[in-house]
This record gives sequence, structure tokens and C-alpha cells, in this order.
Amino acid sequence: MTKYLIKKTLGWLLMIFLATNLAYLLAANFLDPRSNYIGRRPPLSAEEINNLLEPYNLSPDTPLVQRWWTWLTNILTKWDWGQSPVGEVVNSEISYRIWVSAQLLLLSTILSILIGVAVGVYTASRQYKTGDRVWQGISIIAMNTHVVVASIAVVWGALKINELTGKKIFYVVGSHSLDVEGFFPKLMDSAQHLVLPTISLVFISYASYHMTQRTLLLDNLDADYVRTARAKGLTRQQAIRKHALRTSIIPVATSVAFSIPGIFTGAVMTERIFGWNGMGQYFIETISKNDVNGAAAVAAFGAAMTAISAVLADVVVVALDPRVRVS
Amino acid sequence: MTPSKDRNYFKQEPRGEITAHSEVATGDPFSPAEAEQVATLEQMPRGTSRYKLYLRRFFRNKLATIGLIILVFLMLAALFGGFFAKWDYTEPDFLALSEPPSPEHWFGTNDTGNDLYAQTIHGLGRSLTIAIVVSLATLVISAFVGSAAALWGGVAEKAVLAVIHFLLSIPTFLLIALVVADSGGDWKLLIVVLIVFGWMYQARVIWSLALTVREQDYVRAAGYMGVSKLRTIVRHVIPNIGSLLIIQFVFGVVGTVGSETALSFLGLGVKLPDVSLGTLLQGGTAAVQSSPWLFYFPAATLTLLTVSMAFIGDGLRDALDPNSNSGGKA
Amino acid sequence: MTSPVLSVKDLRVNFPSEAGSVSAVRGVDFDLYPGRTLGIVGESGSGKSVTSMSIMGLLPDYAKITGSVKFEGRELLGLSDKQMSEIRGNGIGMIFQDPLSALTPVFDIGSQLVEAIQAHRDVGKKQALKEATELLDLVGIPDPHLRLKSFPHEFSGGMRQRVVIAIAIANNPRVLIADEPTTALDVTIQAQILDVIKLAQRETGAATIMITHDMGVVAETADDVMVMYAGRPVERGDVDTIFSQPRMPYTVGLLGSTPRPDVSAEEPLTPIVGSPPVLVDLKQRCQFAPRCPVAQPACSDGEPPLIPLDDTSGHESACLRAPEIRDRKIGGDLMFKPPQLADDVMAGVPRDERPTTLEVRDLRKEFPLTKGALVKRRVGTVKAVDGLTFDIRKGECMAIVGESGCGKTTTLLEVMDLKPEHGAVVLNGKDAAGMSNSERRAARKDIQIVFQDPMSSLNPRLTVREVIAEPLNSLGFDGDVDARINELMGLVGLDSSQLDRFPSHFSGGQRQRIGLARALATNPSVLVLDEPVSALDVSIQAGVINLLEDLKRRLGLSYLFVAHDLSVVRHLSDRLAVMYKGKFVESGPTDEVFENPQADYTKKLLDAIPIPDPEAARRRRDPRPANASPISQK
Ligand SMILES: Nc1ncnc2c1ncn2[C@@H]1O[C@H](COP(=O)(O)OP(=O)(O)OP(=O)(O)O)[C@@H](O)[C@H]1O
Ligand code: SF4
Ligand SMILES: [Mg+2]
Repeated sequence: MTKYLIKKTLGWLLMIFLATNLAYLLAANFLDPRSNYIGRRPPLSAEEINNLLEPYNLSPDTPLVQRWWTWLTNILTKWDWGQSPVGEVVNSEISYRIWVSAQLLLLSTILSILIGVAVGVYTASRQYKTGDRVWQGISIIAMNTHVVVASIAVVWGALKINELTGKKIFYVVGSHSLDVEGFFPKLMDSAQHLVLPTISLVFISYASYHMTQRTLLLDNLDADYVRTARAKGLTRQQAIRKHALRTSIIPVATSVAFSIPGIFTGAVMTERIFGWNGMGQYFIETISKNDVNGAAAVAAFGAAMTAISAVLADVVVVALDPRVRVS
Repeated sequence: MTPSKDRNYFKQEPRGEITAHSEVATGDPFSPAEAEQVATLEQMPRGTSRYKLYLRRFFRNKLATIGLIILVFLMLAALFGGFFAKWDYTEPDFLALSEPPSPEHWFGTNDTGNDLYAQTIHGLGRSLTIAIVVSLATLVISAFVGSAAALWGGVAEKAVLAVIHFLLSIPTFLLIALVVADSGGDWKLLIVVLIVFGWMYQARVIWSLALTVREQDYVRAAGYMGVSKLRTIVRHVIPNIGSLLIIQFVFGVVGTVGSETALSFLGLGVKLPDVSLGTLLQGGTAAVQSSPWLFYFPAATLTLLTVSMAFIGDGLRDALDPNSNSGGKA
Repeated sequence: MTSPVLSVKDLRVNFPSEAGSVSAVRGVDFDLYPGRTLGIVGESGSGKSVTSMSIMGLLPDYAKITGSVKFEGRELLGLSDKQMSEIRGNGIGMIFQDPLSALTPVFDIGSQLVEAIQAHRDVGKKQALKEATELLDLVGIPDPHLRLKSFPHEFSGGMRQRVVIAIAIANNPRVLIADEPTTALDVTIQAQILDVIKLAQRETGAATIMITHDMGVVAETADDVMVMYAGRPVERGDVDTIFSQPRMPYTVGLLGSTPRPDVSAEEPLTPIVGSPPVLVDLKQRCQFAPRCPVAQPACSDGEPPLIPLDDTSGHESACLRAPEIRDRKIGGDLMFKPPQLADDVMAGVPRDERPTTLEVRDLRKEFPLTKGALVKRRVGTVKAVDGLTFDIRKGECMAIVGESGCGKTTTLLEVMDLKPEHGAVVLNGKDAAGMSNSERRAARKDIQIVFQDPMSSLNPRLTVREVIAEPLNSLGFDGDVDARINELMGLVGLDSSQLDRFPSHFSGGQRQRIGLARALATNPSVLVLDEPVSALDVSIQAGVINLLEDLKRRLGLSYLFVAHDLSVVRHLSDRLAVMYKGKFVESGPTDEVFENPQADYTKKLLDAIPIPDPEAARRRRDPRPANASPISQK
């Protein structure tokens, strides 16, 4: 069982490695760091630009393979993710942003799963009744509302509430205020900032868990073993709660990994709208500044988030499914 | 005896993959237990009466009917709405900068005086064109890749699946953004890139369904009758997952609209002077306090488009799924 | 007489459906007495399962149930799920068909048993575990205390069914319902499970309802028999009467179409033509009338009720002409006429002089056993097929029998692939190993296959014409394809006017015939038959068996035939090989093997087949001291 988890983790590490390299190669191919120096006064010659880029391992004069090797060995040996075309150090750029994004991502993923699974269980037990149909409608709308539209709607609602209460309950910009002191005030302040983007992300992503959980549970409702459980003297509700539910959650857990890229994409946009200085925002900056090394670091972060969620989900699967445990 | 079940092989999530919406792929959406279902897919009248049955089931779903009406309206608007526009979407009205909706500018204008109605119509058309082309292409690619992987099996299948799972778990959106960032907003390039990074999810769904078709005896029989694998795909596999493909296509369009607008919103996809719903949304969000109409109209159009298509997809799934027992209440 | 524990009166069940209301059960009556076993037989869809599920209160909410089900005098219909749950598993226990899916995969065996015990009795966990151990011991699970912690996936199908039985009898039920408890199992396991059920019945003194479509199982287990057709009982009586003096043409037909494992087959089987009615908007008439060879106009005037016969007590029949039926004959004539088979083109040619069509020498196929998810390590080898040698002559049927997993299908696939890794497959004198790809393609004309499952063997999107034309187009056919298709339809007994319909219009038996027509299209000399009739009901199966026999005689075909049903094998095949763990343990002419088995395994196998004749079954069983067969596996 530990072996199973270790093996899975190694697989995910390989995935992170490949994804990061792929991102680096694409970035190196499609982003042109030289353009950061074009238009400077006085104009710089191509050679001068290349010379400026050289120390950052970005010079087009250096063969790509060599740049890649330097980049890779720096990361592996010194955990040095390189510099931007104008010399900012990627490590320090991302060090605090990672936490900003990670809390947003993990919190909304966990909430989406909890809410989605709960709604799925609720609706499955009342298939085709009003509650089911209403939730079905809500979820289809939620799942298909663009995250930008959802975020703006959330902002609008929050501002209305602030207006009505006359207090600043929700902050619509940034991840924290600068002038807060003390642990609890800080915590409170973070929460006030975190609520809105989390709501938008949860809104667009809970629904697919709802649908999946509902379908899986419905499939299991009529499973032979549920019938056996009823035949031994359980009521339908007991049999479902005890036997069908647990079995149906397992595939939902295994599906978590594939939902992270989507929620990450959503986070890129929410960070932009809510003015969070996180990895999503940083990614857009790296692209507009042709920051090859920075972009690769963001990709690594995205892949790592997937891997972490997937491993956590695997732990859940191991706990729930003896077929994985015993073998 | 199988009591009718809400069978799940028309799962709730055949979608585009790099959307801003999160995806949930179940561990194995189409478990072998469902194999039988494919074979007995058509335990119902044939020919016209079958299509009548589909239609009846579809229109019994109110949300799907509403969705269809909205979509038809949007399609007509995208196709013919331009004829009613008083302004071209590229042509600024310098006398009306940032004006709210008026008889002259139905949806108002932005700060450079562009007519938002004309822009929305054009943007809708642009977004739809991109989405439809991309979904068609990804559908064809994923149908072939998915069925071929299932049919060939062995190492080829393992390799294809490894690629699919890899691409599904990495943030492909970032990679797309990297590739199109410096392209200057060419929507045709955007189409290519969206296709390249957009086929995996559907391919996986199709693969898992084709897997059950592969186990059908008629596919094995075809092998022993000397029918080539390619021909088997065309003749035996694809027709038998046809209804799934239709549903996949609908959700594919929804997903692609989401990705395209997301990219354009970030300023990476379609760029001015060309407009898509995403570019309009970008402008709208920036000005949501000062000129809220710039946000409302594109946002409403986009939401109507995706939600109506999702309702249609859902209705199709109910109508085409022989085991959907929403009809059992007759 | 004592009072019945379970008394069902005029039970009717309807399901709403898109095509209209399905009348799955239309008036079932019976009384069940303590210690007795009632066998319910009938073809697929006759309402057997729905009857049992409605007794248990396990039907979905949308089912409309009327009538009365009284358990120990208490009316069960109309009770809430909560009230029913106190009876389920306590007063009435149930065993289901598919043991592989009947246990919850994520809980261990022990807790599933404990749950059953604690659902009805207030006993501590420790006591419950102790009882669970005893139950497992009773149903023949070795080392029960060690197995409590095992999960279902660690058990074989037979062992899981034992656990299901243990759950069903955990609270000493008064009634035990077994719905096809052995259909999914191999014959040897089937015999063991039937023994366990008998043992459980003796231990608990329960009355049993044994639902099955297998006449042999009924003959072996039941005291009384109820024959169902189209949702209604059509004949009822004690087991000996039903088998020796059936008084309903349907029962007579059912018995006539059941092949016997214990006698050599000289006569063809007598199939019942047609198929059971669709249970929507049924006409008021004898539902069997369209298939009944002795129907009269009066039979269409209304549905004959199930009424007691004057001459034998406790025997009831729902046939207007029941009084005329004697010894399976009506007025001295056979009701179902045995079909005329074609003359055997190879008749009189001794085996030695017949050309060999298929020869297999030392065929081997191994699968690696691997472990590990990312990097596969090879930890061993499964010898799925381990050195098979046999030959088939022209006009001969060679059968391979054996339990599931012994390598039958792998053997067929190896032969069909014409590309053996080890050993030789020689088709009409040509060694497959030496064939080029185009030669192999050409050789496919000469060897074709018919599959088991009539549902999956035809592409539902193609018309019958397209289905049959496929091998002709693909492998090449000089001549008029359309004419050939018409000819083939005639050959398999189907009407050419049906050519442009889709497979979904056809019944299981008809689909098997279409599959056969497709296989015969290119005029092969060898047909590989993979359980071609095992998915069909007996009355339909008989027709297909006869057709296979007829085609063999008419065309001089060679069959390589795989089946698990030994009765069918005995009926159809000339030679027989018994396979066990990838090897032939015995082979020879069929009758010889049946009458004088040499290998122990063959003896065990033959001994386990249920015989569709209660007297013969008793004769065979009696010499055995009660429950001498040790209930153990592996
Ligand atoms: N839950 C259900 N909903 C609708 N129809 C049903 C349901 N359950 C059974 N039926 C129908 O009722 C009829 C009788 O089915 P039943 O399962 O009792 O047959 P059976 O005799 O047990 O057959 P088998 O030998 O195949 O088990 C069939 O036509 C079946 O399709
Ligand atoms: S009632 Fe008539 S049709 Fe029905 S079984 Fe008897 S003879 Fe045949
Ligand atoms: Mg049944």
C-alpha cells in the first residue's frame, strides 16, 4: 500500500518533470526575450542585446540544447529557476506568490469536491424529483458560466452587500491588506480577501463533481450488492448510505487529478480580476515580458498542484478501496 | 433481468478540456459492465420512427427545448445580425464615445466609439466559427485516435493513453497561451493550437467506449473475415458510438468557446481590431464600473451561448441514451 | 396439512415503459409449505425474477404490484420499506444469480456477514463474528476464521456464492428464495452449491423457492414445480408428475427440447417454433397459442385459467386440451414433430477415410503474469493452452468441454488467428505457420466462427444483408452476391424478405442463425463454434442445435465446438475432449467418454451434470450417502 503510493508519487514526479521541460521548450521557442530591449533609447544592436541576455541564459546565440541543459542543471543542482530577461530572479518572484495561489487553489478544490459530492448524493437519492431537477439546472448553468462572468457577478454582489451594510465586509482587490497587524486580524483580513475568488472558482467547478457523483451513485443504486444488502434486512436508504455511497466515491476521487488543470486555468483569470498577486497573474506577466524561465516555473507549479491533489486523492482511494490496499 | 437504470455511458462530462471550467473525468467512465449496452443500444424501432422517438424525448426536456430556441436565435443573429447593424464593427463613431445604449447604438459604444452591437454580432460569429471548427476537427481526430488505440491495443494503445493522460494532467492552457502569445491575434492560428491541445479528453472518452465496442463479437468477427482495422473503425466502431459523438461535439463547442474567450480575455487570443466575445469581455471588465453595458451585453451573449448549448447537450444525452429512464414515467 | 409459510395470491406486477405498460407478472398463485422446495421454471422474461423480487419488496417504486403475498399469515404487499426490511433476511432470505457482483467490493466478508446478523438480532460484535465463522464453516469455506478478513475479490465465484448463501441463512429464515443461484457457475461448482443450499435448507428447515430455467436443476432439487409462461403459471404439480405426465403443451415442448446428458442422442430435439410474446398489450387468449402445435380456435377466445385436473390430485394446467394429453402425446400423436434432418453426405464413410480438415499439434499459448503499475515485472507464466493435439475430419463435430478458465476460448482464438506461436495449426493440409499474409487471408474463407452472444455478434447498425455480405465483400466472392445471400438465408431457415431489417428486429435464436449465415457465406470447411447456444433459451436452443446438425450433414462441415453444457455436447458432437488447466485430460468418441470415463476429472464433471429427469436424478444421487460430498473447493 505504501508501495502503491510511492509508485504513484514517482509517476507524478515524472509528469512534473516532463511538463516543465515541455513548457520550457515551448516558451524558448515561442517567446522572444529580445523584444524587451527593442525600442530602448539609445537603440541597442542585436549583438548588444544578446550579450545582455547571455548572463540570464536567454541569449539566442547559445544553442537551445545548451540553454536547456544549463537551465535544467541549475534547477536540479541549485534549485535555481533562472532569471527574467531583465534580470529579476525567478525564485524570489515566485516564492511568495506560490502561497497566494496555492491557498486559493487548494481551498477551492477541496470546497468544490465537498459541495459537488454532497449535492450529487442529495440529488441522486431524489432522482427526477424537483430537488434533483433544480440542482441539475443550477449546475448546468454554473458549469457553463464563464469564470470571468461569474467573477464579475460575484464582485457585483459583494459590492452590493458592502453598500447595504455600509461596512467593508468583502475586499474585491488583492489578497491581503498591508496595514493589518496581529494574528487574528490578519487571518480575518485574509479571509475577507479570499472569500470572493474562492466563491467564483467553486461556482464554476463544483458542478462537474455534482454530475459525476450523481451518475456514479445512480449506477450503484441498482447494483447487485445493494440488492444483497437490502435482502439481508437493510432499508433502501441504509443500503445506499452504507454500500453504494462508498463504492461510488472511489472513481470520483480518482478523477480529481484531471480537474486541477481546469481550476488552475480558472485561477489565472480570477487572480487577474481580483488583482491577486499570485502565480496566475505572474504567468500573464511572464508571457507579456517574454520571460521564458518564469513561464516554465509557472508550468512546474501547475503540474505540481495537479500532482499534489492527485496524491491526496490517491490516499483517499487507498483508504476507501481494499482492492488497492490488498494486492 | 436488468431493471432499467440510469446508465452512465453518456456521462455528464464529455467536454472540451482546456476550458476555464474544471473537468472531472471519472476513473473509468465506461466500465466493462456497460459493454452489453453498446450492443443493445438500439433496442427500439428503426428508421423514421426511431428519430421521432428521439425528437419526442428531446422536446420532452424543457430546458433542452429552451436551449435550442436560444441557440437558433443566436445563430441567426450571428449570421444575419450584421445586416441590421448601422455601423461596421471596425468603424468608430467619434461623436459617440462610451455612450450607453441608444437607438443609434443599440448596445452602446466603447471608449473609442466602436458600436458594441456590431462588435458583439461579429464577436459571436468569430467565437462560434472558432469553436465549431475546432470541435469538428478534435472530434474527427479523437474519434480516430480513440478507436484506433482501442482497436490496435498493445503497445500502441498504452503509448496513446500515456500521452493522453499526460496532456490531461498538465496545465495545457498555459502551453497554449505560450504558443499563441506572440502570434498577433491570428484566429486561424488559434484554431490550430486549440486543436493540437484539445483532442485528448474526447479521445479518452471515445477510447473507453470503443473499448467496449472492441469486445463486441461483431468486431472480432470482422477481424476473422479479413476486414482491415481501419475499415472496422469506419464501419463498426464509429457508427456504434455515433450518438456519443454528437453529444461530444456539442459539449466540445461549449468547451472551446470557454477556452477561446479565456485566451482572448487575457489578451492572448483574438486581438483588436478583430473581436471575439473574449476580447469584448476584456474591454467590458475593465470598464464595468464606468460603462457597465460594455460588460453586460458580451457577458449575456456568452452565457446564453454556452448554457443553451449545454442544455441541448444534456437533452441529447437523455434522448439518445436508451437507458435514460426519465421516459419510464409515461 | 400444515399451513403454508408463504402464500401468494393473484400477484400482478406492471412496469410503465415507453412502449406501454409491461405486464411482467399476471396472476401468480402458490402456497409454500415448510421444508418443501418449489421449483419455478420458465424461459427468460417469463416473470420468475419479478415474482421473487416482489415477494422480497425489492422492486423499484414505479412498479405497480397488486394481489397478495402473505408470510406467516401477514400481508407483505403494502408494507413500507422499513417494515419489509424487518422481514428480509430474517423471515425470508434470498440468493441471487451473479455471485461476482452480489457482495460489496469494499467491505470484508466478515463485516458483511456481521451486518446481516446484527440487522435483526441484538448481538455483540464478538458474538456476531463467532456466528459468522460458524456460518462460513457451514457453507464450506475452509479456514473460516482466517477468511473473515478477506475481501470479495479474493474469492472465486463459487466461494462468493457460498458467502451469499451464508448471508441468506444467517438468521434462520423460514423461506429461502434462490433466483438462478447456479446459472453463472460451472457444473462442478453448480453441484456443490446446490448441495450447500440443500444443506442450508436442512439446517434451517426453510421452505425454498428455486428459480431456474434449467430443467435438470429443477429435477434435482424441487418437490413441486411451477412452469411459467408470459408472466403466468401455466402448469403446476409435483416434480415427478410434471416430468412424467406434463399436461400442458408448453411443458411438453420444454422437455422435448432439453437435450439429455445421460442418453445417447439418436433423435433430433423438438424445438418450439416462435418466441415468447412481448408483454405489452397482450391479447385475451392462451399466450402460448401462436407457438402451440395443437391450438384450436377456442384457444383464442380467452386466457384459459390454471385449473386442477380431475384425474391427478395437486396437478393443475392452464390448457384447454389438458384432458386429452397423455404421455406427452395428444390423441396418441406426438404434439411436437421432430424435424427431418438432411441426409448425411458423409454417412457410411469411416473416420479413417475422411480427409482431415483441421489438425492441431502441440498448441501452446502462454500469458505472462505481471506485477507492478509503472514498470511491469514478469512474475510467472500462465499456461493457458498447454500442448493440445487433435484433428477434425470432414463432417465431424469435435467438442471441447471444461470449466471456465481452462483455456477453451484461448484455444479457439489461437486456431482462428492462424498464427500460432508454439505448435502447429494445419488447415486442409496447409500449415498456418508457413502462410504469407495474403495466404492467411485466403485461408480465412475456409475457417469461420460463430460466437456465443447473439446480442453482440451482429453490428446493430447494419442490415442483415450488409451483415451477411461483409465476408463476401471482404474475402472476395465470384458470383452473384445477392443470390448467395438469399441462398444463405434459406440455408439457416430465415425468410429472405427480412434481409433489409436490422438485427434488433430479430430474436436471439434468429440472430444466431444470421451469425451462422455470415459464417457460412464463404463456404468454409471448418466452423468454430464458441458456445453458440448457451445464451439461448432451451426451446430456441433446440432449433439452433438441430440446424447445426442439419448443416453438418448437408454440407459435410467440420465443427470445432466449445461448450460448457455437457448435455448439448452429448447431443451434437461426435468426438469429445475434456480440458482441464490447459490440457486435455481425456478425449475420444463422445458416447465412449460419457459412458466410460477414464480420467477422474471427467468422472467428476459427468457426475455433476443435473439430469432433467427426477427419477434418474434420484437414482444417481441415492447411492451417495447424504452429503458425503465434502463441500470444499480447491
Ligand atoms: N424494473 C423493471 N422495469 C421494467 N421492466 C422490467 C423490470 N424488471 C423486469 N421487467 C420486465 O419484466 C419481464 C419479466 O422479467 P423477469 O426478470 O421476471 O424474467 P425472468 O423469468 O426472471 O427471466 P430470466 O430467466 O431472464 O431471469 C421482462 O419483460 C422484463 O423486461
Ligand atoms: S390452450 Fe390451446 S393454445 Fe394454449 S396450450 Fe392449450 S392447446 Fe395450446
Ligand atoms: Mg431472472
